[in-house]
Amino acid sequence: MFIYAWLIFISPLVGFVLSYLVGIKYRNWSGIIASTSIGLSLLFSYLTYLQVNAVGPIHESVHWFYSINYGIYVDHLSLVMVLMVSFVGLMIHLYAMHYMGKDPNRHVYFAETALFTAGMLGLVISSNLVFFFLFWELVGLCSYLLIGFWFFKPNAASAAKKAFIVTRVGDLLFLAGMALLYTHLVGFNGLNGASPLSIPYLIDNAGLVAAHVGKTTLGIVSVLFLAGAAGKSSQFPLHVWIPDAMEGPTTVSALIHAATMVTAGIYMVARLFQVFQASAPFALESVAILGAFTAIFAGILGLVVNDLKRILAYSTISQLGYMLAAIGLGGFLTIGYSGVAYGMYHLVVHAMFKALLFMTAGSLLLAMMELRDVRRMGGLWKRMPVTVTLMFIGAITLAAIPPTAAYFSKDAIIDAAWTYFTGSGFGFISFLPWLFLVTGALLTVLYTFRMFFLVALGKPRSKLAEEAKDPPLHVQIPLFFLAAFSLGFGIWQSHFYDYIMPSTPIPSAPIYIEAIPWAFIVIGVAVSYYLYGTERWKHFHFAGNPLYRVVKNKFYIDYLFTNIIAERIILPLSAAFSTFESHYNTSVDVVGRDTMKLGTFMRRIQDGIIRNYFVVLISGISIIFILMEILRLI
Amino acid sequence: MNPYAFATSALTSGLVSVLEHYSSVFLLGIVGFIILALGIFRINKKITAGITFAAMAISLPLLYFTTTGPAVSMFGGTIIFNNFGTYFAMVMVISSMFIVFPALQKINLKSEVFYALLLFITVGMIIAAFSYNIITIFIAFESVSIGTYVLASFGKDRRTLEASIKYFFTGTVGTAFIIFGASFFFMATSTFNLVGITHVNSSQAFLIAMAFLIIGFGFKMALFPLHQWALDTYDGTENSVSAFLSSGTKILAFLIILRVFLVGFSSDLQSVYYFFVIIAILTMTYGNIAALSQTNLKRILGYSSIAQAGYLILVVVIVAYSSTSGLGTSVIDFAIAAGMFYSLVYIFMKGGAFITMNVISKEKIELSDISGLAKRSPATAVSFAIILLALAGIPLTGGFMAKYYLFIALISGQLWWLAIIAILNSAISVFYYLRIIQQMFWKEPLEEETFNLTTWTKSPVIISAIIVVALGLLYAMFPVLISTAGGLFG
Repeated sequence: MFIYAWLIFISPLVGFVLSYLVGIKYRNWSGIIASTSIGLSLLFSYLTYLQVNAVGPIHESVHWFYSINYGIYVDHLSLVMVLMVSFVGLMIHLYAMHYMGKDPNRHVYFAETALFTAGMLGLVISSNLVFFFLFWELVGLCSYLLIGFWFFKPNAASAAKKAFIVTRVGDLLFLAGMALLYTHLVGFNGLNGASPLSIPYLIDNAGLVAAHVGKTTLGIVSVLFLAGAAGKSSQFPLHVWIPDAMEGPTTVSALIHAATMVTAGIYMVARLFQVFQASAPFALESVAILGAFTAIFAGILGLVVNDLKRILAYSTISQLGYMLAAIGLGGFLTIGYSGVAYGMYHLVVHAMFKALLFMTAGSLLLAMMELRDVRRMGGLWKRMPVTVTLMFIGAITLAAIPPTAAYFSKDAIIDAAWTYFTGSGFGFISFLPWLFLVTGALLTVLYTFRMFFLVALGKPRSKLAEEAKDPPLHVQIPLFFLAAFSLGFGIWQSHFYDYIMPSTPIPSAPIYIEAIPWAFIVIGVAVSYYLYGTERWKHFHFAGNPLYRVVKNKFYIDYLFTNIIAERIILPLSAAFSTFESHYNTSVDVVGRDTMKLGTFMRRIQDGIIRNYFVVLISGISIIFILMEILRLI
Repeated sequence: MNPYAFATSALTSGLVSVLEHYSSVFLLGIVGFIILALGIFRINKKITAGITFAAMAISLPLLYFTTTGPAVSMFGGTIIFNNFGTYFAMVMVISSMFIVFPALQKINLKSEVFYALLLFITVGMIIAAFSYNIITIFIAFESVSIGTYVLASFGKDRRTLEASIKYFFTGTVGTAFIIFGASFFFMATSTFNLVGITHVNSSQAFLIAMAFLIIGFGFKMALFPLHQWALDTYDGTENSVSAFLSSGTKILAFLIILRVFLVGFSSDLQSVYYFFVIIAILTMTYGNIAALSQTNLKRILGYSSIAQAGYLILVVVIVAYSSTSGLGTSVIDFAIAAGMFYSLVYIFMKGGAFITMNVISKEKIELSDISGLAKRSPATAVSFAIILLALAGIPLTGGFMAKYYLFIALISGQLWWLAIIAILNSAISVFYYLRIIQQMFWKEPLEEETFNLTTWTKSPVIISAIIVVALGLLYAMFPVLISTAGGLFG
């Protein structure tokens, strides 16, 4: 049987090289080549899907070094991911051919996005954590390059650095977790020849590993993994990079948010769910609490920003919190692995509508000349009917209004949180996820419609908004696909769940609990329309309110990181080190100079006269004999 | 040994066996005389070189097939044929082969004498490689030395004569010390054989013998403070002869030092250790530091070859130290094998470096003469850079593997402090090697044309660079070397 799975990530890798090389001469071909390579990935993903359906999970691994292998492992979970990533990636690439169509460096752009996609696809199907980490870092590198793609904008350059440094913190902790696990597992008899960091081994023998390593240690490993996931998936408190990452091209934001970057962390936790589950209970509890807290936290921040893309960025953080919380809820026995199914379903739905939202935002921003302030837009529904209608579909899906797909996916998570609460004896801690998630639902509706009403309704509030026009219809074809998915994907809810885990129960809650999110939708839409559907918001002045100031300053977390940790602690340290280093350098120079002088002296002995040579000989040998006698005496 | 006993042992060990084991020696010797005879007919020097090369090439497999296998002792232990000796004999034949064609261009007058001498020297080297008797070693070594005195004088320039004279004077002093040392050795042990000395009559005489032999062989290997002839000689002689003197004869001296001091003086390895540890440190440090401020390119290479001798001699230090502190044969075998590997790589590193000088047409070669070589012939520049990096011990080259094994041997011999000194020395040496590379790649060529870039000058450089890199990949043969290393002790 030919394993197509290898080609899933090799195809965009080839696309990366080709689109750059061809693009040097023929700029317009680079987009076509990159898109084709991703399209081939989609094809190979589909072929692999058929293979996996026929023969079960595919696992191939090759010895690499020490007891580390590299290879691929494709099961249902990773198939869902590769299909999603290659499909959404293809849509974004097709749209980007329009969006980036005028950029002079578009061959670099397309090469980088192809590499980005290759990294993500490789990450999803790799069979060993070390190999996984390699792609993980490749994704990080590409995000750095692409966020800073317009490097001549100082904001973009610093945002790229910020994204790179913040995610590096998470990566370091992830690496520490891997090292800890490796040192505990290497030489373990139960390995049966498998690599200690082999993913299929870990998930199949999680119980055995937990018994050998110890539940607490494995819990620490899991929390370190979670920290890595938090960095990549921008969870609290490592979420600070993603709003700034909006400085990149909008299609890059779409890639990062929908397909290739932030989902990597969620996928990692889902992939290693069995390890989290087998370790001490605090591992999955912290996953659930962290996810739920981030969901509400980012929702609050999303209410006050005025930058169109940043609102979407905060909504992503919040939605990723839902996914993480869903997986964490699996810590409760009756939910178990179905938590992963709920989380992954939300992940796929989110990828569809978030890609849609970002690309419609991209169309808006092309018309608005990259002016991202929603207060300067307004009245665009009349002027850009197709784009804003597509955005409306994205918005109602984000707000989880029935019957969109997100309604099914998010409602299931909130109900699962209720089950978690009732099932674990009504403890306060177990109440928090539900509370956070359901409040988060209200916040989602509020910030989504605040954004949408400001963009779509009212009168144009700037000259650009008056003259805005839809982009040509044919470039929007990918958006129609995504919109259709966003609206209709809910039909396959139970199919999807069963594909991840056979006979997944669909969670339910009492009708008065189910009613709360519905009520929140009504309240949320009404309040946002009252305030932002009309011009009333102009008469409200929050600026003096201390609470508003705290939120507007992002709870001072960015301040803590940059002004206190970076400026007060790390900068003085680095100054001290560089002072030391400059003194050290001088000392090296002095040693070098003196050695040269010694060499010059030695050359002078070598004067070319034989009788002097014999003088050197006799004196030298005598000194050596004396030295030797001294040594012998010692 | 009196003639009667010699004849008896020749007969008892079997004349056929003697002929068989010496077949390569006979081959090279006879071809040498044939070439001398062909000189009468003023035959083209390219043909002479070709015949020489072919004879050496044939002698390699001949050596391998006739002398490997279980050890054969001849003439009462005077000569012992074993795999260890075969390895070194082959290495030295290769070192002679290496300069056959590069020498062709500069040797115009009496080329048949040059090649015949080269063959006779090789014969001496092969015999020395199997000798376990001070007198045999002395004779074989002298036949090499006298040959090289003549080789050193070949060339167009008067400077070669000066170099040859200096080499001859100091070499003669060295020879005198060897004879003196040998007689004291006989006084102390009542034998000239190196293997199986159990009883020492007079420890004072034994120590004096050791000191005199160290001076004598130290001269030949150019160890500090007996090195000064070497710089003038390497600088003055023809490039290919410099290559041979600094690689082939140096490896021979290394082998003889290993054999005389580790086998012959095995009852007093403590003193051997003290002598050589001082000499090794001084030699390495002196060579590297003196090279730093040097601007004459051939002298830089000369100093670097002194430093390399210092590294090589570390093998003696490790073996002597591990034997006296009872570290076991595995450490000893590893150290000797490291020395064997180093010798092989060294031939191509150092020989290749000196032969590269052929691409510069001046007689006295300054550092600035090589500037801009990368622009004129990138392939040569890259190859020379590889050779220099190998000498510095940079990874991906054979030089790295050789140094790596040597330092591993130092560490497993528990000589941590010495390993640190050696590594520091390596670090110093990188400076002057990189200075040459910088000149080649980042400086503009001089106004007047100094390069002589023909196939004859370029290809040996490229070939030796390829071999140096290939040897880095051939470390798989290292276990084989370890298994033959015990042959040093007969």
